[in-house]
Amino acid sequence: MELPNFSLALPEIFIALSGMALLILGVFRKQEATQGIAILAVITMVLAALLVPAASGNRAETFGGMFVVDGFAVFSKLLVLVASSLCLVMSVNWLVKEKLERFEYPVLVLFATLGMLLMISANNLIALYLGLELQSLSLYVLAAYQRDSGRATEAGLKYFVLGSLASGMLLYGSSLIYGFAGTTGFDALAKALEHGAPVGVIVGLVFVLAGLAFKISAVPFHMWTPDVYEGAPTPVTAFFAVAPKIAAFSLLVRVMVGPFGAVTAQWQQVVVFVSVASMLVGSFGAIAQSNIKRLMAYSSIGHVGYGLIGLAVGDQVGIRGLLIYLAIYLFMNVGTFAIILAMRQKGRLLEGIDDLAGLSKTHPMMAVAMAIFMFSMAGVPPMAGFWGKFYVFMAAVDKGFITLAILGVLTSVVSAYYYLRIIKVMYFDEPKEALDRGVSGSLTFIMGVNALLIVVFTFIPSPLVSSAGAAAASLFGG
Amino acid sequence: MNGAPIWQLVLYVAATIALIAVMIGLSAVLGPRHREKATVEPFESGIVGVGTARYRFPVRFYLVAMFFVIFDVEAVFVSAWAIAFRQVGWPGYWEMLVFVAVLLVALAYLWRLGGLDWAPRR
Repeated sequence: MELPNFSLALPEIFIALSGMALLILGVFRKQEATQGIAILAVITMVLAALLVPAASGNRAETFGGMFVVDGFAVFSKLLVLVASSLCLVMSVNWLVKEKLERFEYPVLVLFATLGMLLMISANNLIALYLGLELQSLSLYVLAAYQRDSGRATEAGLKYFVLGSLASGMLLYGSSLIYGFAGTTGFDALAKALEHGAPVGVIVGLVFVLAGLAFKISAVPFHMWTPDVYEGAPTPVTAFFAVAPKIAAFSLLVRVMVGPFGAVTAQWQQVVVFVSVASMLVGSFGAIAQSNIKRLMAYSSIGHVGYGLIGLAVGDQVGIRGLLIYLAIYLFMNVGTFAIILAMRQKGRLLEGIDDLAGLSKTHPMMAVAMAIFMFSMAGVPPMAGFWGKFYVFMAAVDKGFITLAILGVLTSVVSAYYYLRIIKVMYFDEPKEALDRGVSGSLTFIMGVNALLIVVFTFIPSPLVSSAGAAAASLFGG
Repeated sequence: MNGAPIWQLVLYVAATIALIAVMIGLSAVLGPRHREKATVEPFESGIVGVGTARYRFPVRFYLVAMFFVIFDVEAVFVSAWAIAFRQVGWPGYWEMLVFVAVLLVALAYLWRLGGLDWAPRR
């Protein structure tokens, strides 16, 4: 037995070691070290993000083929690390203000991120499951982090029970695939299924798809999303809405396109259905919401539907569209949640959409940022969100999925209603009681950076488009 | 699509459902149905129950159970390594060392946090 090539997994090893070191540091220094540990955790993720491209180059495997690094993995890992670190920066201020400083919070975020990186690089059903569980277990705890709040513990418990069910389905599917194909490695599976797949593998594939659809909260496995998003503490919701979705999406793409590329026709119909259902539920479910976190939950279900169009198309252009969509989705969501975190009145966090009334008069800059995010989410041209949708829809039309593209356009028109309603509330409603002034520096920074990135992408889309294109190409061996 | 015909799978699912239906149905049809004073009492005889079963346990019992599960499952991995000790050689040894080191970190965390103080506080 040879020692594996560790250099490919350098970011993961680094995060694991720092996570453990911070855990020990925290438990010896007790709760007052929380802020310092959070800052160290952010630095860890930034350093890991710097290590990620160093490990790239061509497609390479290590740990006996369990772990793969290619352009696609590098792109997704960078997105996840950016998402996690932005969310952690947002959380610090919240932890201090709510007097919930416990050093486990940043450590759990680190371990969840580690799980996501492992998911993205998984090249074996066992590695896939381990990464997924490392991520999920950390997230269950984070959802119930505010343990004196009934809503948060309910959210944590719901997420845990339903998440375990999804993991069970995934495992059952994996065992069927292993039983019928005789291997768990993705490369070996691709070879074994070259000439069609036995029916057991197809059944297993549907189970795996169901388990992963749960993790990205695609309809019909979305039921937990609104409750968990509403109940979990807001910075945790922000984290849930971006990082695990990007990781699970990359995993889904890698599993479907890699080992099961030969049976595309079989999974395509499932993905098309899930995509259409998510778009419909996402756009119609959000209309009646008055809580902004629930609204964001439905909005994220809808966005998952649009992203899945890219996977349903199943070719290089489709995956490129999906990656662009995920990147834009990340910045829109993190920015919006930063604004939600800034909605305080006399120090208390608010969650109602009505509470934004008259924001344009009391906090003009915040209102502008929110308007940018909402226009972008609605996909109003020429905002970044429009380009995200444009690339997925174009990929669908090119491959002849015209109905899918038309449904996408129609549902985004419906969803424009509730995004634009927020803008209407901010600009045309009279303020009842102004929100607190003095928004913390870190939140302002996140709002500003994300709004700026959205605007920059609106005018200079080519860097993101070309890097997403290269990432998608690496997945197809280009 | 080649491979095994799908009817085998359908038959398997149908047989599973039929078996469960028969088991539940038979016991519903044939089972005795009588309600007397003693029916709802625990064990229907012997000692009469005292109080409710919804008793608040000290959380330490839960902790002990958790630690048992965690460290017991980890021990299983060490046993697996012991069986393949010669085949995996030195790399296996180093990997097990890393594994145990990770466990030690977890143990140190639990210890410092007071997770191992099971005696009632005085």
